[in-house]
Amino acid sequence: MLETLPTAFLYIAAALVVPFLPLMGRRLVLLALPVLAGWQVWNLPEGMLWHLTFFGLDLELMRVDRLSRVFGLIFSLAAFLGNLYAWHVKDRVQPVAALLYAGSAIGAVFAGDLLTLFFYWEGTAIASAFLIWARGTKAAFDTGMRYLIIQIGSGVILVTGAVLYYLETGGIAFEHMTLGSPATWLIFISFGIKCAFPLMHNWLQDSYPAATVSGTVILSAFTTKLAVYALARGFAGTEILIYIGAIMTLFPIFFAEIENDLRRVLAYSLNNQLGFMVVGIGIGTEMALNGTASHAFAHILYKALLFMSVGAVLHRTGTSKASELGGLYRTMPLTTVFCLVGAASISAFPLFSGFVTKSLILDQAASQHHVFVWLILVFASAGVLSHSGIKIPFFAFFAHDSGKRPKEAPLHMLLAMGITAFLCVFIGVYPEPLYAILPYEVDFQPYTMGHVVGQMQLLCFALLAFAFLYRKGIHPPEIRAINLDFDWTYRRAGAATLAYLWAVARASGAYLSGLVSGWAWGVFNRFQYSTGPEGRMAQTWPTGAMVMWIAILLGVTLAVNFLS
Amino acid sequence: MDKNRKPFPLLGRMLGWVDKPGSAMRLVYALGALCLVLFALDFTFTPHGHFGFETIPGFFGVYGFVMFTALILAAKGLRRLVKRPEDYYGDTAVDTEDYPEELLDKVDYDA
Repeated sequence: MLETLPTAFLYIAAALVVPFLPLMGRRLVLLALPVLAGWQVWNLPEGMLWHLTFFGLDLELMRVDRLSRVFGLIFSLAAFLGNLYAWHVKDRVQPVAALLYAGSAIGAVFAGDLLTLFFYWEGTAIASAFLIWARGTKAAFDTGMRYLIIQIGSGVILVTGAVLYYLETGGIAFEHMTLGSPATWLIFISFGIKCAFPLMHNWLQDSYPAATVSGTVILSAFTTKLAVYALARGFAGTEILIYIGAIMTLFPIFFAEIENDLRRVLAYSLNNQLGFMVVGIGIGTEMALNGTASHAFAHILYKALLFMSVGAVLHRTGTSKASELGGLYRTMPLTTVFCLVGAASISAFPLFSGFVTKSLILDQAASQHHVFVWLILVFASAGVLSHSGIKIPFFAFFAHDSGKRPKEAPLHMLLAMGITAFLCVFIGVYPEPLYAILPYEVDFQPYTMGHVVGQMQLLCFALLAFAFLYRKGIHPPEIRAINLDFDWTYRRAGAATLAYLWAVARASGAYLSGLVSGWAWGVFNRFQYSTGPEGRMAQTWPTGAMVMWIAILLGVTLAVNFLS
Repeated sequence: MDKNRKPFPLLGRMLGWVDKPGSAMRLVYALGALCLVLFALDFTFTPHGHFGFETIPGFFGVYGFVMFTALILAAKGLRRLVKRPEDYYGDTAVDTEDYPEELLDKVDYDA
């Protein structure tokens, strides 16, 4: 009973206790609980472990198999690292939000039916918004609201899809689905919003740079990878995902190249990495799904590491804008080294984690003869190098000297970054343990001469191109500016349209009420005069009389009941 | 430049090599040499690619160089289209505001 308790309950229970603990107690619970939860997930037996019947619906709270377990493990690991990084946080909101957020994400991963999935799906949305609001400014509040509206919208679409699915099939089990009916399309779109599909992606780049230093690290781990898991569970082998994923790897790299805020560069980069996973889901073979799961695992680690290093810079200097930074390696050398490890991992250099996971997906794309998709993915790999591999470390820690001389990151941040960096290298050098926990048997050797030389060539020649362009001054300079993206449609055009419609409605409302009011007020006043609380009709009706009549009526009803 | 201040951390001083005059060019030359070696390595083993063009010696190198350059040029073009001033979204976005000081821990290295 206890050992099969839904892991999410552990997090929720801790979230209920944490606000009443002193600071040190909060910190210790935040660190101890993910360890406990991870250990529990590791030891879970496979199968459906926890049934509930709710209004005649069968809820499955713990569906444990190899796919859900690998996500449950990495989510607990990410929660531990994120909480260690957030050791300096003193408020009581962020710890609760972090626990509920991680707990909801893990609950959703183990959900075996659509209703439980929906419940936790909304849980992640609500809990995570507080990590943005914790920044405490009006702009952060507005951004958090935009984020929340879109995330909740995704949940509403999901529950609509689930209802239709129930009407269609008579069950709500969350199994593999085929696109075709309105129900499955709605569920697909709901997953797509959370997975930042093209044109549904801007909540990500909008909100992640607005969160707190540690909040962004925690945000980067769960929401989108939960969507990846849900797609892998529900829509593996859906061909349209191959093309969606290919577009996802492609367009963010152009935006990342010209974006100034390094945390937003990382958000674009996150979007591009999700594309690789989505392609893997679309291909849908056992090895491709292995690739998606392992890439999600490695990606959570190196993306968190990059967000941590940029966060440490923000924590010490107060800015994460490339145009304001540069030359920080002198006084923040350890952060620099950890950032370089993250950069090498995401760029998939051999001996780093990205290499042993991304090549699974690339290899599958090639062996299934998706030649154009494969070419796009290889191009996108060079693109990843350009923004996450070069831009982040180079413009933050090297490039021109900004004159800033911040102190090295605090010890707890260095620890969190150190552990994460170690894991990135460990997975890259010795991938077997990670391959062993993947959903299917792995039959793949990443370290062949062909793979290593091909990948090294791609990256080194691209680096050479960067060196050439940078020295010639062709590389786009870092300037204080923002870039429009698709969110302009609802932040600017949509808002203007709404404001216009609102003004029209108010003006016409005022005109109409002007016409009606004279007459309507007269009628209203007449009624008020005679039947209002102070009016003639109300004077002879003491409350007691009403109570007495009710008593009499009830008595009569009782009598009639006995007599019949 | 940094007289009368605590010296930088040891690792930081070691990394300081990159700012010595000529270091950057040395790095570029080393990178160029590495690229040549990688290109030469293509002739040392029998590749088994899924597509014919994969096995052309130097394919990945050329593809990486050309596509990276194309990406940068395309991004420059995109910037002309979408660049806007930082306060474009006003106070509904965090782009212009400073991160709240009380949540930070801004310390100089010699403090």
